[in-house]
Amino acid sequence: MGRSPKLLALGAAFALALSACASGGSSAADSDSGSDEENNNSESTSTSGGSVLADVIANDVVTCGTRDALPGFAVLQADGTHEGFDNDFCRAIAAAVLGDAEKVEFKDLETDDRFTALQSGEVDVLVRNTTWTASRDGSEGATFLAPNFYDGQGMMVAVESNFNSLEDMDGTTVCVASGTTTEGNVSSEFERLGLTVDVLSFENTDLIQEAFQAGRCDGWSSDVSQLAGLRTSFLNGEDSLKILPGVFSKEPLAPAVRDGDSEWAQVVNWAVFATIQAEEFGIDSSNVDGMLESDNPLIQTFLGVEVDGTALDPGLGLPVDANYQVVKQVGNYGEIYEQHIKPLGLERGQNSQWQDGGLLYAPPYR
Amino acid sequence: MNSSEKTPFWRNVAVLRWAFQLAIVAVVGVIIAILVNNLLVNSSSQGIPLGFGFLSQPASFPITANDFRDTQPVWQAMYEGVLNTLRVVLVGFVLATVFGVLIGLGRLSGNWLIRTISTVYIEIVRNVPLLLIVIFAYLGLVLEVFPRIEDSWDLAGTIIVNGRGFSIPWITGPFVGLLAAVVLSIAAGLAVRRWRLRVAESKDESAYVVPWMAAAMVAVLFWVGFFAGLGFSSPSIDGRNVVGGMTMQPEYFALLFALVTYTASHIAEIVRGSVQSVAKGQVEASQAMALNGWQRMRYVIFPQALRVAIPPLGNQYLNLMKNSSLGFAVSYFELTKVVTTSVGTRSPAVPAFLVLMIIYLIMSLTISALVNIANRKMEVVGR
Repeated sequence: MGRSPKLLALGAAFALALSACASGGSSAADSDSGSDEENNNSESTSTSGGSVLADVIANDVVTCGTRDALPGFAVLQADGTHEGFDNDFCRAIAAAVLGDAEKVEFKDLETDDRFTALQSGEVDVLVRNTTWTASRDGSEGATFLAPNFYDGQGMMVAVESNFNSLEDMDGTTVCVASGTTTEGNVSSEFERLGLTVDVLSFENTDLIQEAFQAGRCDGWSSDVSQLAGLRTSFLNGEDSLKILPGVFSKEPLAPAVRDGDSEWAQVVNWAVFATIQAEEFGIDSSNVDGMLESDNPLIQTFLGVEVDGTALDPGLGLPVDANYQVVKQVGNYGEIYEQHIKPLGLERGQNSQWQDGGLLYAPPYR
Repeated sequence: MNSSEKTPFWRNVAVLRWAFQLAIVAVVGVIIAILVNNLLVNSSSQGIPLGFGFLSQPASFPITANDFRDTQPVWQAMYEGVLNTLRVVLVGFVLATVFGVLIGLGRLSGNWLIRTISTVYIEIVRNVPLLLIVIFAYLGLVLEVFPRIEDSWDLAGTIIVNGRGFSIPWITGPFVGLLAAVVLSIAAGLAVRRWRLRVAESKDESAYVVPWMAAAMVAVLFWVGFFAGLGFSSPSIDGRNVVGGMTMQPEYFALLFALVTYTASHIAEIVRGSVQSVAKGQVEASQAMALNGWQRMRYVIFPQALRVAIPPLGNQYLNLMKNSSLGFAVSYFELTKVVTTSVGTRSPAVPAFLVLMIIYLIMSLTISALVNIANRKMEVVGR
């Protein structure tokens, strides 16, 4: 179980070598064939040689790297459907690009091979609880986009323990997921507080849970949103586990795409912004059809309705009604949050609109 | 056909052989060149760095049960990883050999119970994937059986077992002092042995080599240890931690347990095979000379069996070393876990795995070289 991701990562590295010829050649070929087929279209819109957008349109599916078992964010249901915050943003991208929110293929990625999967082209976009950091932006061949969730790292302990803050946890052992920013944050924070800590890092959450329950570690540190989600998978989670107040890191969780494809990056960015902007306008999936008749030209422009005989095409390579499809089929940011994150017991907080003192701020759509 | 006429080169066997081999080398070379080139081109086009500069970048992750700080560079993390690998591998060599030999001999035992237990053990363990044993040892044995730290098993303050690890009393003091004590003690033991054997030969009386050696070694060990400032410390529980003594992390314990159990089952089969390979006449001859069971093993069978056993034993040691990479499945910070964690944090995958492979290669070749030396020493001298 634990070994396969490593082998995959290694395999992917070799696959990179093997498939290099094929993918290097085919990306050129794809964009060629793309421009042959829809000559009139791509001549006018595509400015850079963006291959992912062309591939996605050609394949009629967005391959999205997520997870299968992160409560609230991405859960594979018993009936084979994917439910979660991250999954919905994948759907928003599909709705924007292809006009159908269900044209998404979800790939369950382990923490350690998510970037390899992105680099090798196994997934088109990563919406997988990934913190945007400078090193990852620079060294992982990934470009991070507008964050869709502002998180922070916290600590979860057993209610029966005497820990009420990190200061009480000197000399303890803390379990974290490996290959994340979490490990470094824990040791830096304890060092800053002048405390010692032993950090135990695991490949997957199941093992952390086993170790945590067996008393191998005193605390479990991760992003607060994840802890809240994980807590729901414990028996009597809310009663037996508590999340210590306060966070000790900035964790902007952002979608990521491969480096060097700004056209696709823009598309993903504006699909995320569509959900945020829609909430700001007060548009949700239930009233979006009525909003088409809105007397606010900004809203009509946003939904791709013709104002004074023309509909705005910002030239992002998206259909004119992309925002409408996103809101209609997936919903606005608030709806997505209410549906998936609220049940974990997390308030909007930083993830509120900018007018409400939050960090969500979509650039103007005009 | 005129014999003086020269064979044309395209029908000359010598030339054809060369040409054929050169062609194969060329094809393989071209394939490798294409792969490497593709890797380089593709990586640079996707913005994946391929250099080794990451080795001197901060690691950004801590190492469990280690003073390593997350601001130290990646190469130092790898160094700690190598040390952790060696910790489990070297101890594993010793334990696997001891258990393997015991079980192998058990399988040849005349005692029905011992023979059956050994056989069942070998057949079960040898036929289960090692990864399962590792995970089972961690989840089923360590996490399930070892108690929480609040209710540790405490054997009169000497051995303490709990979820934080398996703690035993250990020697404190400078490592150089310990090394000196051990080396001098072994030297003293060997000197005493030589002296006793000479005495026994000249005076024709019993040598009592073992008691004499033991006494000398213990005496020297304590004497040197005292002056080198060595001491003992017993483990004790302090808050949420075990302090003093030496604590084997649960992860280390699980990995060691799995590696030893698994490798011992293979070594046992090698031992059985090599003992059985000794000609039956040798056993009969030694019986005729009235050697007892121990003497027969020690002086007749083992020296000959060892000769057969060394090459396959070397393979098992190599396997054990390579299998230690499964440590990352249970979060033991050996070399592979260091590298994969580092790749997850920031290091580029291809160069990092390349470094990983080179380090394993160096360790493998070292072990092979040592086994070859041992093999050459044990070989029958041609007469």
